[in-house]
Amino acid sequence: MAKHVLTGIPVSSGVAIGKAFFLNKNRLSQAPRQTIDEGLVRQEQQRLGQAFTLASQELERIRGNVPKELQEHGALIDSYLMILRDKKLGDSAGEYIKRLRINAEWALEKAVADVEQMFNAIDDEYIRARMQDVRLVTQRVMDQFAGQENGAMPVGHRVILMAHDLTAADTIELEVDKIMAFATAMGGKTSHAGILARSLQIPAIVGVEELEQSITDNSIVILDGFNGRILIQPTEDELNKYTGLQYRFEDYQRSLTRVCHLPGETRDGYRVDVFANIELFEEVTSVLDNGGEGIGLYRTEYNYMNRSTFPTEDELTEIYTDLATIVAPNKVVIRTLDLGADKLSSFGALEEANPAMGLRAVRFCMAHKDIFRTQLRAILRAGTQGHVSIMFPMISGLQELKEIKAFYFQIKEELRKEGTAYNPDIPLGIMIEVPAAVLVADSLAREVDFFSIGTNDLIQYCLGIDRTNKHVDYLYQPLHPAIVTSIKSVIDSAHRAGIEVSVCGEMAADPFCIPILMGMQVDSISLTPQAIPGIKRIIRQVPMEDCKVLLKEVLESESVAGNNVLVKEMIFRRFPDELMFYTSLLDGD
Amino acid sequence: MCDAVVQEKAISVQNEFGLHARPAAQIAQEAQKFSSVIHIGMQGREIDAKSILDILSLAAPRGTDLFLKAEGCDAYEAVQRIARLFEERFGEGR
Repeated sequence: MAKHVLTGIPVSSGVAIGKAFFLNKNRLSQAPRQTIDEGLVRQEQQRLGQAFTLASQELERIRGNVPKELQEHGALIDSYLMILRDKKLGDSAGEYIKRLRINAEWALEKAVADVEQMFNAIDDEYIRARMQDVRLVTQRVMDQFAGQENGAMPVGHRVILMAHDLTAADTIELEVDKIMAFATAMGGKTSHAGILARSLQIPAIVGVEELEQSITDNSIVILDGFNGRILIQPTEDELNKYTGLQYRFEDYQRSLTRVCHLPGETRDGYRVDVFANIELFEEVTSVLDNGGEGIGLYRTEYNYMNRSTFPTEDELTEIYTDLATIVAPNKVVIRTLDLGADKLSSFGALEEANPAMGLRAVRFCMAHKDIFRTQLRAILRAGTQGHVSIMFPMISGLQELKEIKAFYFQIKEELRKEGTAYNPDIPLGIMIEVPAAVLVADSLAREVDFFSIGTNDLIQYCLGIDRTNKHVDYLYQPLHPAIVTSIKSVIDSAHRAGIEVSVCGEMAADPFCIPILMGMQVDSISLTPQAIPGIKRIIRQVPMEDCKVLLKEVLESESVAGNNVLVKEMIFRRFPDELMFYTSLLDGD
Repeated sequence: MCDAVVQEKAISVQNEFGLHARPAAQIAQEAQKFSSVIHIGMQGREIDAKSILDILSLAAPRGTDLFLKAEGCDAYEAVQRIARLFEERFGEGR
């Protein structure tokens, strides 16, 4: 065993082996606090002013060195500079020196505490997080008091960088080509450090406890970005094991790059179209980069949230048209509003004991037809460009579907009479995510052009568990025989009616679930863009015959645990890399 | 010397993500170019438009109604210029 093992939150995959280097380890954690004589007030205020000036010059110098491709960071540094020059910090600290006769460090701490109090009262999580920026900027001033330069990188060799935290300003000073990986004591899954690591494609771990106490400069460490572990002074055996893992991962990544722009087709010629789920227009780039063959699920809720008015028809038409145009000749499946009254701040919250089963999605839309009309008109108008499909969520029965279709036809008629340009032949589909819809899938299939199975909600409703409830999430079992049978029966119903069927829940992005869905002969899947290359790799390597055999075994088995073992055995045989580099929905049991 | 004037204007936040770090920086940067005292009012509260921290503390999302108030020689121009930033959605596109 290594001398010491630290754990943290893995934010970027990969393995690095090398020497540790600390950024700014010697920063004073606690600024000295002193009271001063009245005669020294002026002098202390000058010392404060000078520290601000130096910190500001330093940031300006960094700003000047920002390369063009990192202009995003540049803008961030501009806002750091603005904070640094804000009266709320400098002037207010100067006042404290005079009024309380305390030293500059202490006065600055007090000014920061005031700002923090102001920020703590804010509801908005994003803005509260800006307090982090205020602390960072102040730290730069504090460093000037202590007469410290910000740590420069060592020359000559590449290092595994360790830091208390990594901010946008820090990262610009770094010579990124000298960093093999990094670890920080602060930060969570969504922190800046993780975004940086993934964009540089180097492994990283954040939120490592005791990082600063346990690691010294130049000690040899292994950073395992798959499992969030740092091995300090590893043994020979550990070094060999991780070197092997490193090579394998590099091979694996190279194979993903090769495979992601090829079609999703098995070795024996069975085709699965691989689409992407998106929420924001901006995600289209990521879809194309990762080899998505279109948008299988465009969630439209975003344009309705965090605002006080509903979007207008023209506004939605413009967004949908832009999307359809940029994705063409590939298709875009637009899912109509899947929100409940509980999520619409502009609507005056409806008191519901159980919003997941409340007035949401098509139920909400049919109860508020003006909102539904605006969206349907926008989709119909945007449909004149590219290849747009409409999908209705949360359908629970035939009567409901017929009413929605009647409303839809009425709107088409309105557009026709007005002489507004629209596409009269947009394919119509529904989400199958309520167990009742599974049981009446045969009659639903005769009414629409396609099905899309939303496994997240289907599992939740079928097994009667709220997956966000920690007490029951152990029951979230994608391979529960009831789930496998349900999905299979929906796919069979669709095919009997001659329509296509897709799977768009998290199961579609899980390497361990994919072979089973393929065995059921699903026509397409739709998943988060980043997961596409890994899933395509599996589709392209597994023969359909194997998927069918696996499915048969799974259908015959009566236990979840048994199914999980069957699937893992198959993956282990065919895809040992996936077993190592992925965490699956099936894990944790 | 000049005559100090008071200028006011009602504005609303139209950019997608509201007054987050970058719009706040733009407003403060613009406001600092003027000698007038400039305030932004929201729901009975008034803050200093030259302070990015003050602006952030409004946490104003898209759709919020605000008013600008400037007092000084260049109050008119200050209000015009800052209002334009809001109208142009801080260059964020939609």
